[in-house]
Amino acid sequence: MKSLVIKDLHANIGEREIIKGLSLEIECGKIHAIMGPNGSGKSTLSKVIAGHPDYTVTSGEVLMDGENILGMAPDERARKGIFLAFQYPMEVPGVTIANFLRAAVSARLPEGEELEATEYYQRLYEKMDLLEMDRSFTARSVNEGFSGGEKKRCEILQMAMLEPKYAILDETDSGLDIDALRIVSHGVNVLRSPDRGMLLITHYQRLLDYIVPDVIHVMVAGKIVMSGPKELALELESKGYDWLTEEEPAPAV
Amino acid sequence: MSDTKAELNLDRSVGDFSYPEHHAFDAGYGLTPDTINYIADVKGEPDWIREFRLKALDVFLSKPLPTHWATKDLETLEFEKIRYYLAHGQRPTRSWEEVPEDMKQTFERLGIPEQERKFLAGVEAQFDSEAVYSNIQKAIGEQGVIFTGSTEALIKYPEIFRKWFGKVIPTGDNKFSALNSAVFSGGSFIYVPPGVKVKHPLQAYFRINAENFGQFERTLIIADEGSELMYMEGCTAPKFETATLHSAVVELVALKGAKIQYVTVQNWSSNVFNLVTKRGVAHEDAEIKWIDCNIGSRLTMKYPGVVLKGRKARGEVISIALASNGQHQDTGAKMIHAADETTSNIVSKSISAGTGRATYRGQVHIPKHLKGCKNNTECDALLINPDSRTDTYPAVTVRGTGNATQHEASVSQISAEQIFYMQQRGLTEGQAMSLSVNGFVNDLVRQFPMEYSVELKRLIDLEMEGSVG
Amino acid sequence: MSIPLFTDEPVRAAARQLFKSLPMPGRLDEAWRFADTKALDMSPFEAMPAPIDGDPARFVKRSRGLTETAGKMIFANDQLLSREVLDASLAQKGVIWKPLEIAAAEHPELFAKHFMAHGAPLGSEKFAALHAASVKTGTFLYVPRGVEIDLPIEVFHWLSGEKNSSFPHTLLIAEANSKVTLVDYFTGAQPDASGLAVGFNDLYVGEGAQLNYVCVQNWSLQTLAIQVNNTVVGANASAKSLNVNLGARYARNESASQLIGEGGRSDMLSVTVADGDQVFDQRTFQDHLAPGAFSDLLYKNALDGGARTIFAGMIKVEPDAHRTDAYQKVRNLLLSDNAEANSMPGLEILADEVRCSHGATSGQIEPEELFYLLARGISKNNAQRLLVQGFLQEAIDRIGNPALAEKLGEIMRAKFGN
Repeated sequence: MKSLVIKDLHANIGEREIIKGLSLEIECGKIHAIMGPNGSGKSTLSKVIAGHPDYTVTSGEVLMDGENILGMAPDERARKGIFLAFQYPMEVPGVTIANFLRAAVSARLPEGEELEATEYYQRLYEKMDLLEMDRSFTARSVNEGFSGGEKKRCEILQMAMLEPKYAILDETDSGLDIDALRIVSHGVNVLRSPDRGMLLITHYQRLLDYIVPDVIHVMVAGKIVMSGPKELALELESKGYDWLTEEEPAPAV
Repeated sequence: MSDTKAELNLDRSVGDFSYPEHHAFDAGYGLTPDTINYIADVKGEPDWIREFRLKALDVFLSKPLPTHWATKDLETLEFEKIRYYLAHGQRPTRSWEEVPEDMKQTFERLGIPEQERKFLAGVEAQFDSEAVYSNIQKAIGEQGVIFTGSTEALIKYPEIFRKWFGKVIPTGDNKFSALNSAVFSGGSFIYVPPGVKVKHPLQAYFRINAENFGQFERTLIIADEGSELMYMEGCTAPKFETATLHSAVVELVALKGAKIQYVTVQNWSSNVFNLVTKRGVAHEDAEIKWIDCNIGSRLTMKYPGVVLKGRKARGEVISIALASNGQHQDTGAKMIHAADETTSNIVSKSISAGTGRATYRGQVHIPKHLKGCKNNTECDALLINPDSRTDTYPAVTVRGTGNATQHEASVSQISAEQIFYMQQRGLTEGQAMSLSVNGFVNDLVRQFPMEYSVELKRLIDLEMEGSVG
Repeated sequence: MSIPLFTDEPVRAAARQLFKSLPMPGRLDEAWRFADTKALDMSPFEAMPAPIDGDPARFVKRSRGLTETAGKMIFANDQLLSREVLDASLAQKGVIWKPLEIAAAEHPELFAKHFMAHGAPLGSEKFAALHAASVKTGTFLYVPRGVEIDLPIEVFHWLSGEKNSSFPHTLLIAEANSKVTLVDYFTGAQPDASGLAVGFNDLYVGEGAQLNYVCVQNWSLQTLAIQVNNTVVGANASAKSLNVNLGARYARNESASQLIGEGGRSDMLSVTVADGDQVFDQRTFQDHLAPGAFSDLLYKNALDGGARTIFAGMIKVEPDAHRTDAYQKVRNLLLSDNAEANSMPGLEILADEVRCSHGATSGQIEPEELFYLLARGISKNNAQRLLVQGFLQEAIDRIGNPALAEKLGEIMRAKFGN
């Protein structure tokens, strides 16, 4: 069975350990959600999977369909099918969305094969319509001067165009009003597929009303401390995270 | 705070008096090897210093005036009409009472003894070519801090003096550093032993009393590992008919982890050519900060520098210049990065009033293969009158991918609306101007010691009142 | 008495004499600070351009510019190969567009007034004299009052052969309320041939007129190139210029803009892609002579390999040029450990009620930005290339012509090896 498996992962930033023995399996076709208090290491986990150079993996494995991806450069992982929707997407001045995505889509084509322009734009416009994005966006620089909601829509647009095997959505709901949340969630739900696994990282239960996960995990201090069905989100919403941390207080980060 | 004015005497009019001269030693007018030999003989210096001076004279004579970039006003300097050494012939005294009466009166009028009692750890006063009074608090002396005149130091502490002297600023650095190296006399020598943190500032006071005279003091400060020091200097001269020259060389050495703050309030009378070379070397994790305020002089050319020689060394120049009628303040900073992770910061604010001209000149250099170096430079100029002038001439060199520099400069005026607003609230135009100008430099003035910052504000008030109408 | 022409032998002999008598720039010349003046040795090159050998049609064929233009002139080794006027109505409106030497003979009074009338205020007096002694041809464009030419006019200058020289010249007069866009392409025919190019531009923008001027400098990588541009901007006029610097071993560009009328505006833009051991030496002058004018300069340099750039810019607000707004920005993006960027942004303000600022930054690609692209599966090389193009794009976009921007993008991508 195809899945993204994280096995006893330990990761540091500098000397400080942030991920402290985390294990998780995201099956193709399933949506997992990770919830947890601020500073529990949720965003770090997403960056470690994507291969951010600031983090060092000290032990453990991340296997994509059986292949360990930890030794790979970030772009190689991305081409293999890992997609990260950033919590704070970078502004890329002077590079239009159209050129940016063309470069990203072309990078996935077999050697010597050229992107067919008409087809590309047709697909791009289709996905933009899905996310209710105005076509004028294609000529704008990536994320430059975008509102919070526009940035998040742009992330989902990229996911739609790049069709990853495994997508990690880091706090995709943060900074969104209800309308934007509805549009973004719709975009994500359309991309649900038996061939794709997803990991939602969120602080609030709200997102999970729109994108209903199959499994919920609670992360505290660099580890998964509890997993359960979607109803677990409601319990967390009413009780908060404190009851989970009584034994092991979360470090102030 | 009203009486700080009388005590600190940064007001130019307060310094505008002189006493009749009766120098026992006078090298006469002009500059030849004979002048040098005369100075070396009078001072009873060792041969290596005499040779150093004679070599420097050659360098001085061989170098052209730097008018390919600097102002042509330098050409009005008549080196043959200057007297290069004037002294009474006594050794500096540690007791105020022993200072000759006319000099004592001079420094008392300038408020030196009061200041010493108030907040200084040590003070030195130079009258024309030689220090006449030098005192250091007993407690500081017992910690091993040496604070004395350069003339004394090169004889009493040759092993420390010779090791560092002329190493930060070589003789040939520029025409005026060569001139100073040939005829230097007076200035401070400070050595702070490892780990000693001098709590109160040390201060020197420089006074030119004679017409057609050039003052060439030489200051050398060494802060040994982990030590800390603040040094302050002030300068005045009476306004003579003819131009006077002040050309100092100041060398600072901050060894590993040491911190030096060097504060200058320059208030020479408006016919002094003030051509000064100031530079420090900051070793690993050391910090050198120049806080420089130029209000007086006809022409000042001064670009305090820091050579960031050790890893994580820090350099900073905070500069305020006020150029009024007929003045040219040509000031700036030099930051030479020579080790990884060194940082430098330059903040310069200038005000040009009347026909005054303020110039910023800067150099930032981050050479090959250094990593993690940063420079930030900000230059702001304020123009007061239609005839005022301001210029900015920075040069920034960056090599490689690990470093970042940022330079920003702006020029602005005080808006007529702003002045009107304050006038409508009942302030005179002059008061409104003063308030605005003080607002412009406020963040920098706060970096000066309290006693100085109050005085600076008052000086700006005076200058502004004069520039209106 | 007839007016002497630049083609007259006595005029050229006098210029030659001046070239010989003026000293070579040296180490102590402020106008040449940071420059390696040894790079200026002109002795290896032909004194006058040697004619092209072989079929001239190959240059015409390679002169691929925009799809839609108002006209196109093609020169190789200072020899006119082709002149196409695509809009016949222009001549009827009084537009004069001719090779320089022909125009000079027909309109000597215009040349007497405008040809090299402002010298070389930024240090290249000597090389301006060389240009005056050696210039054979170039472009003359006169746009009468009120005439608007919508499509760009393109001029191609090729330099072919080993150790050859070229002295291209553009003299453009845009009369009041006229409008025109001119693009000069300077290209080396053989990528590794050494050569000398000393070019000169006189651009006059009359009251209320609008000029867009673009120069694509793509000489061969062994060329010594010196280019002097003088622009004069009248009241309420607008001059926008963009230099795209790609070629040459040592390229000196001196661009001066004089604002002589109230309400005038000058936009000075430049993008440079420096690689290998290339040196780009850029000197600029925003000279505010009239009150109430506006100037804005943006220079962007991307440096790879062991390349060096030197930027020395001066905003001068002359006495009485009150209410001036003047801005100047240089941005250096360093892509390698051996690249070196020198910035000397300068201000001289002698007037009142002035708003002026300048800024210079040097830095590198932000690691977070790079990671964002990597995380989308774009390879490191491509990601860097995209980010560099994006960095330069800001200046290109300001010319406000998408078709031209696209063309320039294409030419630049060729240098990136894409």
